[in-house]
Amino acid sequence: MKQKLEVYSKMIFQLVRRLHTGPVCRAAESSLLAKLRKKTGYTIANCKKALEMHNNDTDKAETWLNEQAQAMGWAKATKLAGRTALQGLVAVKFNQDHGALVELNCETDFVAKNEKFHQMIEDAASACFKFANTHLKSKDPVTKMELDSEQLSNLSTEGGKKLSETLALFIGSVGENAVLRRAECWKANGKDVKIAGYTHPAPAAPGQYSAGKYGALLAYRQTGDNQDIGRQLCQHIVGCAPRKIGNKDHDKPAKNADDETCLIYQEYLLDPSYTVEELLQQNNVEVLDYVRFSCGEAVEANMPGVEKQSLDTVQTLQ
Amino acid sequence: MATISLAKSLVNPALKFVLKQNHSSQLRCSVTPFTTPLSIILRRHYAEKQVYERTKPHCNVGTIGHVDHGKTTLTAAITKVLADLNLAQKKGYSDIDNAPEEKARGITINVAHVEYQTENRHYGHTDCPGHADYIKNMITGTAQMDGAILVVAATDGVMPQTREHLILAKQIGIQHIVVFINKVDAADQEMVELVEMEIRELMTEMGYDGDNIPVIKGSALCALEGKNPEIGAEAINQLLKEVDSFIPTPVRELDKPFLMPVESVHSIPGRGTVITGRLHRGVLKKGTECEIVGHGKVMKTTVTGVEMFHKTLEEAQAGDQLGALVRAIKRDQIKRGMVMAKPGTVKAHDNIEAAVYILSKEEGGRAKPFTSFIQLQMFSMTWDCATQVSIPDKEMVMPGEDTKLLLRLLKPMVCEAGQRFTLRLGDLTLGTGVITKINNNLSEEDRIRLLEGKRAREKAAAKK
Repeated sequence: MKQKLEVYSKMIFQLVRRLHTGPVCRAAESSLLAKLRKKTGYTIANCKKALEMHNNDTDKAETWLNEQAQAMGWAKATKLAGRTALQGLVAVKFNQDHGALVELNCETDFVAKNEKFHQMIEDAASACFKFANTHLKSKDPVTKMELDSEQLSNLSTEGGKKLSETLALFIGSVGENAVLRRAECWKANGKDVKIAGYTHPAPAAPGQYSAGKYGALLAYRQTGDNQDIGRQLCQHIVGCAPRKIGNKDHDKPAKNADDETCLIYQEYLLDPSYTVEELLQQNNVEVLDYVRFSCGEAVEANMPGVEKQSLDTVQTLQ
Repeated sequence: MATISLAKSLVNPALKFVLKQNHSSQLRCSVTPFTTPLSIILRRHYAEKQVYERTKPHCNVGTIGHVDHGKTTLTAAITKVLADLNLAQKKGYSDIDNAPEEKARGITINVAHVEYQTENRHYGHTDCPGHADYIKNMITGTAQMDGAILVVAATDGVMPQTREHLILAKQIGIQHIVVFINKVDAADQEMVELVEMEIRELMTEMGYDGDNIPVIKGSALCALEGKNPEIGAEAINQLLKEVDSFIPTPVRELDKPFLMPVESVHSIPGRGTVITGRLHRGVLKKGTECEIVGHGKVMKTTVTGVEMFHKTLEEAQAGDQLGALVRAIKRDQIKRGMVMAKPGTVKAHDNIEAAVYILSKEEGGRAKPFTSFIQLQMFSMTWDCATQVSIPDKEMVMPGEDTKLLLRLLKPMVCEAGQRFTLRLGDLTLGTGVITKINNNLSEEDRIRLLEGKRAREKAAAKK
């Protein structure tokens, strides 16, 4: 009886409240909680907690939230760490003699389309690019360095923060697991050696940075003043996924042109009437090395973030 | 030796007796209680497979929302609440969550399907893990969604990716969304109100009627555990009531104007020309006016008879395989690939936009991507036509991707928005798609350029 009364009084209260303050509230957003949430974008529960802790002082609450964000991000990241993350993006950043290719994973492709995710992977790509510029020593025509999840986390971004910290903040904000999967940093040495990059889908205006589901870095040597075909070659590599460059002396072309896995024997994607080898000869290009990432492609079972969903998260909901 | 034969003579009659008895018993069994085993078998089959009774209109809904906001819990809660009213089979969380890879037309789709019914309607409920899965679903028509339930947790509110969820809904053509604010048991009144405000604001921004969209607050977990009925079971009931009333029942194929793709044409001496095919939609009666469109022709005539299995039919319904006798049309005027339809309802087009899913190698597609200007054979209904493809948003399309394509047909064919088709190259099926928009037909100039472009490319290839 008492409970019922409570429920009814609550309903009446709500009704009256909605009638009186509803429209005003929506228009002017007089509520402190709404204001704080709008301003900071942290979860409603956290905004609420912040206000309660600081007696509805929005400024203090906001500073507290900003201070806590990192810790909360870490907490969330640790909580979600076991969950499968195989969606995401591959980003490439390059100029003539430096290149970086990064893969960042998340759980759903919805998140991968969000601008926060794009910002996150751009930061990561920039960090790797900077690393390639400052840390790689010159030796061989191409110096390469492969980075795994852990090494990537320790790189620092423009703002001086570690990548792992920005990642934790990101996880706290979208509430989904995310993993800095792997990266490649390249440095080209010597005259005529160039680096090109490509991602698919490609942006309308080709630039130094782009992100997509697939990405590739290519190092090539071009002499003479033929047309630069680095980008097109890179597109071919992204599209046709050759397993190796191939050597004329050891490798033989496959019987079926569609099954060809050697780059030099493949039909050129943009004009199937040539093979890649013919294209290279025409333009005086020598392919030195390439690497291709496909987002979420099979990775070893013990990689972080690809384990099966841990049981405890399921049980709590049953 | 003697002992063995003795034993034999002893055993043999006994064996015979046993065999005899067995035989007769079998006979007896099969004669007298003949009906019992059969009926048992029949009954058993009924128990294994229930018969779907078409008593209520059907509607397809789906859930969208953040992974942790309780989409699956809500689905489980809906089946539980309805199971208590004997309207659904209760599904556990684990039954729903492990979305099996469904194979439709050889295309693998990650989708969880659940069915239930309310007092008014029967529902198919879809839940996919990702954007690409919903798009594939839409393109292949595995589970068309007529409306959606957007799930938002009161504790978190609108997430950065909620915007992407709504973009998806727009993209797959969902016009009706009901919002369920979940986990209100873990939040207070102010938070719930704020979430409602935010979601209405975002919906308005995304082009929905944010102020009038039904928003229901409750806790799927409470409903599932049978606690706090006012935010548990009652909220679920209220949600279903809103879904019942807010998401309109889709128009049935039967109620649409009739359309029949021509499969073959026969000339029957003394009677005239008979067109055969499967009635795609609507109903067809004797005496109906009709239009036959396609292969660059439009002919008007009247159906003077409808036959099925050599018997005349009063009224053929969508799905029937039939023959239609038409007045004053010669056999050679009609070709397979034309479409017979209610006059004025279909037109031939040659410039269309489509959403296409390109099959991965595992699904039977090609391993290589393709670029603009590739010429593919487009199959739809009973026609096929050479088509020039251009990709508006990308430089190339990889296998396993969905994309928007512009298709230019070498000759106008019957097309309409929502029509499905396949794209083939040689003996490979490259992709499957659905027409999203019809553009103005190509001008003579465009058509010449279409053919010329092809010739020019051939010349370039020949030069090599």
